[in-house]
Amino acid sequence: MKKALCRLLSAVSLLALPATASAAETAVDSTTIFRFEQRDISGASKQDFMPATQFLGLDVEKLADGNLSLHFSGWGRADLADKSYNNDKVDGSFTYGYLQYRFKEANATVRLGRLFVHEGIANEQVDGISARTDLPLGFGLSAFGGATVHTKHLYGEKSDGKGDSIIGGRATYRYKGFLELGASAVYEDNAPKLINYANATHRLLGGDIWLTPHRMVEIMGHSSYNTETRTLAEHSYLLNLKPLRNLVVTGEFNEYRDRGYLNSWAMFSGAALNPADKSRSLGGSASYDIAKNVELAADYKHYTRELGNADRYGINGRFGFLNNTVRTGIGYHYLRAGSGFAIGTTPSASYHELHAFALHDSATYFAALDGIDYIFKDKVYNEKSAWEGTASLGYHITPALALSGDVSYGRNPQFTEEIKGLVRLTYTTTFDSKRGKK
Amino acid sequence: MRIAHRMLPAAFLAGLITLLAACAQMQELPSLPASHPEALAVGQQTDCSECHDDQARGTLKALTAFSHTPAFVKNHRFYAASDDRLCAVCHKSSFCNDCHTNKVEMKPSYKFGYRPDREMPHRGDFLTLHKIEGKLDPASCYRCHGRANNERCVACHR
Repeated sequence: MKKALCRLLSAVSLLALPATASAAETAVDSTTIFRFEQRDISGASKQDFMPATQFLGLDVEKLADGNLSLHFSGWGRADLADKSYNNDKVDGSFTYGYLQYRFKEANATVRLGRLFVHEGIANEQVDGISARTDLPLGFGLSAFGGATVHTKHLYGEKSDGKGDSIIGGRATYRYKGFLELGASAVYEDNAPKLINYANATHRLLGGDIWLTPHRMVEIMGHSSYNTETRTLAEHSYLLNLKPLRNLVVTGEFNEYRDRGYLNSWAMFSGAALNPADKSRSLGGSASYDIAKNVELAADYKHYTRELGNADRYGINGRFGFLNNTVRTGIGYHYLRAGSGFAIGTTPSASYHELHAFALHDSATYFAALDGIDYIFKDKVYNEKSAWEGTASLGYHITPALALSGDVSYGRNPQFTEEIKGLVRLTYTTTFDSKRGKK
Repeated sequence: MRIAHRMLPAAFLAGLITLLAACAQMQELPSLPASHPEALAVGQQTDCSECHDDQARGTLKALTAFSHTPAFVKNHRFYAASDDRLCAVCHKSSFCNDCHTNKVEMKPSYKFGYRPDREMPHRGDFLTLHKIEGKLDPASCYRCHGRANNERCVACHR
């Protein structure tokens, strides 16, 4: 029934097009990638992969009275050699596809089809409908609902552990440019019974806040409550301070109760998670623009879990030259984490992270270099580090069409050697039905 | 039939909000533009304060709060949760879905190997690192892989 409903929604969406597309503006975003990969796994034979993937995005604006639009995104893959990933040589995904009507006033929209929803504590994907509007006196309202978009079945099960339908929404109140309060909820249909996993239904209530008592100060965040476990699920709050135009200082606090927040994560909700456990992190960052296109940032975060404590700190720098057509960046971070977080019997989980990149994008060609290295304090699977370097070179055949290729090489604890290459053809353009290509 | 039956409350709610939206039109409440009037440079960390010093019509929040500083990029989930209509003025949904999706074909940093300046998750050998990071902060895994995009997790976590 669900499949039939999805097909019906898609069909209804498409039927509306021919009659109304007379003044439409169409944007096409296509990327075709041919990959070549060779993996050398310790104790096993080398593997070769040659998957071809097509990504396609389509946005048709200004349909009907000019306020109706159609949006689509998805991808498909065919393996030209051995199977690259799962048991199928052909795979694909319908990421989203919906009709949207946008009212002229009150930020009001209605969407119909497969869509993503981000409203307060709700982050869902549904085959259904969503609507939103601002209301007088600073109030606002949104709602969504439909069939749950399922994922791959859990091992040995006939389900992904999610209920078949979902509904939710958010109500807001804004007071001038000073305060916004939100209350949101998600209510999923009863989760199916599973044989090998503990399972729970996804139902949450939450509240969110945005407060700026002074133009230099901004506080935002949300808390959620799991109505199934009757426990708090999450607190997540951010403080932004902007004492100078070019300086941003942040403070962040997060707390997650495993029983409340991860309850509906069927894959881990059994023995792998301790229901009494909670995660807490407290951190901060500072970023400063020394000049236009010269940016420095530093950050620190402290993690607390039953397994132990950990700290992560580091710096990043980004630099732009030649009207930002040349961009570079460097970064260093260190994670100090004890044996509780380590892999296998490794005494420590601590590691250094080094990252550097440079790219140039001109009207005719573009090129990039990227390198990342993780250096472990204690060897992981007898390897001291995991590193990867990538070089990319491309040519703009026309302003809309570009051909590029990447080559990367790396060594890491998973694969003794990993060599990857790809050829990429991208096509991005907008057509206006009255005036042709824009 | 079961699904259709359970979609009725959603359809009712959406219908109600559409009706309210239609009523709100008569109040002439301010709305954000459908798209940014000027094309913004690719690869630039957009600084809204270069042109704006006022509040965004339709959100009543200072536009400077949305300047894409390193802190904003790192914490953009807070803004997207309440103001994704403002994100949509400049970004198509597919921009978000480059990373946040229900089923990913390849790592975003691999698909966009020519754009190492974009902040993309799981660079390098994350297959090894996730054994550390997953224990350190499981909530960060759950946000993207808990209820979607878990095909690769299922392959090993049985």
